[in-house]
Amino acid sequence: MHDKTVRRRRAVLALLVVLSLILLTAYFGEAPSGRLHSVQRSFLTVISPLQDGANKALKPVRDLVGWIGDTLHAKGERDQLRKQNEVLRREVIAERGEKQAYAELQSLVGLDHRLGIGNYRPVTATVIGKSPNLWYSTVTIDRGEADGVRVNDPVINAEGLVGKVTLAASDGAYVSLITDSSVGVSARIGPGGAVGILQPKVGDPSDLLLQFLPSNASAPRGAMVLTSGTVSGRDDSLYPRGVPIGEVTSVNSESAYRSVNVHPLANLHNLDTVQVLTATPGSLPSNLARLARNLPPGAGATSPNGETLARVGGGG
Amino acid sequence: MTAPVSTGLLARIAALVVVAVLIQISVVSEVPVFGVNVDLSPLLVVFIGLLCGATMGAVAGFALGLLVDLTLLQTLGVSSLIFTVVGYLAGRLREVRDPQAALTPLLVGAAGTAVASVGYSLVEFLLGVDAPVSLQLLRQVLLGVVVNAIVAPAVWVLVRRALEGSLPEDPRRRRRHRTYTTGGLSPLSRA
Repeated sequence: MHDKTVRRRRAVLALLVVLSLILLTAYFGEAPSGRLHSVQRSFLTVISPLQDGANKALKPVRDLVGWIGDTLHAKGERDQLRKQNEVLRREVIAERGEKQAYAELQSLVGLDHRLGIGNYRPVTATVIGKSPNLWYSTVTIDRGEADGVRVNDPVINAEGLVGKVTLAASDGAYVSLITDSSVGVSARIGPGGAVGILQPKVGDPSDLLLQFLPSNASAPRGAMVLTSGTVSGRDDSLYPRGVPIGEVTSVNSESAYRSVNVHPLANLHNLDTVQVLTATPGSLPSNLARLARNLPPGAGATSPNGETLARVGGGG
Repeated sequence: MTAPVSTGLLARIAALVVVAVLIQISVVSEVPVFGVNVDLSPLLVVFIGLLCGATMGAVAGFALGLLVDLTLLQTLGVSSLIFTVVGYLAGRLREVRDPQAALTPLLVGAAGTAVASVGYSLVEFLLGVDAPVSLQLLRQVLLGVVVNAIVAPAVWVLVRRALEGSLPEDPRRRRRHRTYTTGGLSPLSRA
């Protein structure tokens, strides 16, 4: 009797482990349009109303806990913001003159920002779920294909870039945040600065690493990091040019390339409302995104750091 | 060693798993504590294993892992694999040692979280995660274990209360109880 119980227990364990390994291998090996991904998409369609309900019902609890945490952090943040405000005020004064000169030059050359956010159709969405895992930084939103949301659409909030849509179902979508290990963003330091690839630092969700910058790239502390409007790979999202991502906190020069640590502007721990930048079929962003996706490997302009660029923004 | 499992217990565990995942993604994940999130999943699996035994722990771990992977767009099979092992180990601990100390939930919760975190890291490295890894990872894992250990006693009370009444009776505990009440040492026998 005892032996039988032990055998059964071990058999159950072996069966479940083997099942998990089969699932893992099949999922990891298949394309995003594969069967298991479809199951995941269908599951999202089923569970998103439930998640939406739970999210609404539990919002007061979340707000209360969030309020306590916010109050504790508010004092330190206020002092920091005061200092930042002084610096910014000085910068604004200096940049006013530059802006005026730039506008004059722009009107002379006839350039325009063809791929500003205005070319997209922003869809406002509520975050209804968030991954707790260190290795996956994803959120679930309550807008999906029915609202025009497609895979790889950029996602922003009032503070800056949040991430991109990784999977879309009819009534909901998964957004991989810029701190997810699978996301890489082509970014530059300030307007016209050096371009690199921004990736998360695993284990430090509040820090990003802008890599592969030229060794002589200027990266002052506090400089703003913006999307470059280029893609670095076929599966990358085409983020519109100039969306703020974060600010430089420190610089590392350990190898031939320079890398800088970047603190994201968006508070990714406490996302409530976001905007998905959808592109209507036939529009400029949609055409450019399709063009970037269809680039053959090795095609396109090559930046000094070896990144293959599909340049999509207007202007320099 | 393994007592038969009732349908009532299965239903309660299923409900517990679904509710826990919903609360996790809707509230708990949105509230960082010391910069990390409380992860209810390993705690739930460990406590189900500790209360119901190795087989039930493994089955609950697999189901919860699958639900987590499906709900959060994670690589299918990763959480199932990790939580199956975690649930099984917790169940074996109960069957072999049957710990009764007051600190058991805290220690077992911390150990379960540590095994799950290290398991995740190993699987992600094996799958070839394309990201630089710093020493911060170790810090985050340790912080996660500490934060989970803090909430473990409360989660233990809730899980035990939710499953009370349907739990299988442990033969070891039953034997111990019988020896105590019939061996002449019981205060009741003196009365």
